Amino acid sequence: MRITAAEIAALSLSIKVALLSLVVMFPPGLLVGWLLAKRTFPGKAFLNTLVMCPLVLPPIVSGYLLLILLGKHGIIGGFIYQVFGLEIVFSQWAVVIAVSIISFPLLVRGIVTGMAAVPEELENAARTLGASPVKVFWTITVPLAYRGIIGGTILGFSKSLGEFGATLMVAGNIPGKTQTMALAIFSAVQLGEDATAYRLVFISTVVAFIALWLTERLTLR
Amino acid sequence: MKNGLGITLNFRKRLGSFVLDLNCKLEKQVTAFLGASGSGKSTLLNCISGTLSPDEGEIAFGDETLYASASGINLPPEKRGFGYVFQEGHLFPHLTVAQNIRYGQPKRKESSSVIDILEISGLLQRYPKQLSGGQRQRVAVARALAMEPRLLLMDEPLASLDGALKARIIPYLRHVKEAFDIPILYVTHAFSEVLALADEAFLLSDGRIAAKGEPHQLLTAPSAMPIAQLTGVENILSLPVILSDRERGVTALEIGGQHLVIPYTDAEIGTPLPVAIRAEDIIISLAADLPISARNMLYGTIQELDVVGDRTVLSILVEGHSLSVKITHEARAQLKLQKGSAVYCVIKANAINLLWE
Repeated sequence: MRITAAEIAALSLSIKVALLSLVVMFPPGLLVGWLLAKRTFPGKAFLNTLVMCPLVLPPIVSGYLLLILLGKHGIIGGFIYQVFGLEIVFSQWAVVIAVSIISFPLLVRGIVTGMAAVPEELENAARTLGASPVKVFWTITVPLAYRGIIGGTILGFSKSLGEFGATLMVAGNIPGKTQTMALAIFSAVQLGEDATAYRLVFISTVVAFIALWLTERLTLR
Repeated sequence: MKNGLGITLNFRKRLGSFVLDLNCKLEKQVTAFLGASGSGKSTLLNCISGTLSPDEGEIAFGDETLYASASGINLPPEKRGFGYVFQEGHLFPHLTVAQNIRYGQPKRKESSSVIDILEISGLLQRYPKQLSGGQRQRVAVARALAMEPRLLLMDEPLASLDGALKARIIPYLRHVKEAFDIPILYVTHAFSEVLALADEAFLLSDGRIAAKGEPHQLLTAPSAMPIAQLTGVENILSLPVILSDRERGVTALEIGGQHLVIPYTDAEIGTPLPVAIRAEDIIISLAADLPISARNMLYGTIQELDVVGDRTVLSILVEGHSLSVKITHEARAQLKLQKGSAVYCVIKANAINLLWE
């Protein structure tokens, strides 16, 4: 099996974007997961809905909304363009943002599931032993929720690797720049390049399978 | 308490339709709160530890206010310095025994005395799931003591253990009481633990204090009966030893001029022993000269008959002591039992439980 340079570019962009998205989204994911699993506050249902929305919206719709927000005349995109002179739409940044928004619910769901299963009694016991809420979070809640956290991380990462609709809308399909694996497969099929499509599909399937299998191994011990 | 401190509890906490309403001051080293499940015992400890906030009132340790609704004071649990031993231990499952003990320990402090007293030095590298029930509770006590608490809260620490194990853990707790000069607040539904450990006892019933006093006096008083019934022991008596024979393996107690024989126990003549007898364990006979093995035949008269569900509960007066006996309606009819009937209470020596060694 010979892989072309263009295919490698698509694969490495996908991995780079997924990793970067993970690094950026993991801290807020922990915080939001903890809020949703352990706290009661006004607006909790709203926050939950907002975070989970991309899970049920068609990715094309999420992507279109991002396009409006991030465009040169959008609220966020306009601000960034004026302050930094940066155009986000159709750049690699747009890929990262699209992928992050789409995969965030999966990351948070894993974290929430893990943290909700940590008994409150253990956290209270730690408090009586002199631990501040922050110490309880790092020494009790996070270590005991690790399976859910790892599960959410791997699922979110896999989703990031394969994201298609939102990326296409907000970042386009520019070979060598914003063309990820999924987009490359789409293009290959459109152009009738079956060999390329087969290779990329094979690689995608292997990566997804390994990620899911790792999740199962780590979470269902 | 040696240092003259006291714990002031004057607060109310509502949970659904249940209300915990307390107003008392604890001044002894070991105070026990005795109550059936649902009487508010755990709620009480959670309010003192700070893991639950009362609705109103005040909680003070000495002259330090921990909670006061009027001035908005509510010290978080980590600032109170109270050790808490939970019914199920609540050891951290991802940490070893040694790490559990170190969790709340002040830096550069030794925990060796705690480890020695509770005899857990051989368990330090194990994880909680590798411990037996009794070991787990000993580690839980060690963990609470290692933080050098100002007050030790214990929530039914023996309730999850079976009878034989309980008896083995109690000496450790007494050792802790002697070795550490800190006040202990002990919550339980078991009479024997109160008698073995407490200097003062409060009876908690439906969120309120029903009675308080020195444990022996309190628990043998008639007011203890409702609690006793809820915990499944209807007859609690404090009876003096009149004979103790190691060779024959029996000890005899005196009850209204008659003998109550129990398995041998090492007690001096004249000391009162608290004993518990379940109402179902007493057989009623109309004659004394029966060819049976039971050692005790107490003569008495029926004072009252009450129908409780499918049973009749008899109150039998045995010269100054009242015994509660549960029989079937059929037995009552066949024996033609009535108020004033003279009967013999037949009790196996083994059905009589000593509440205190």
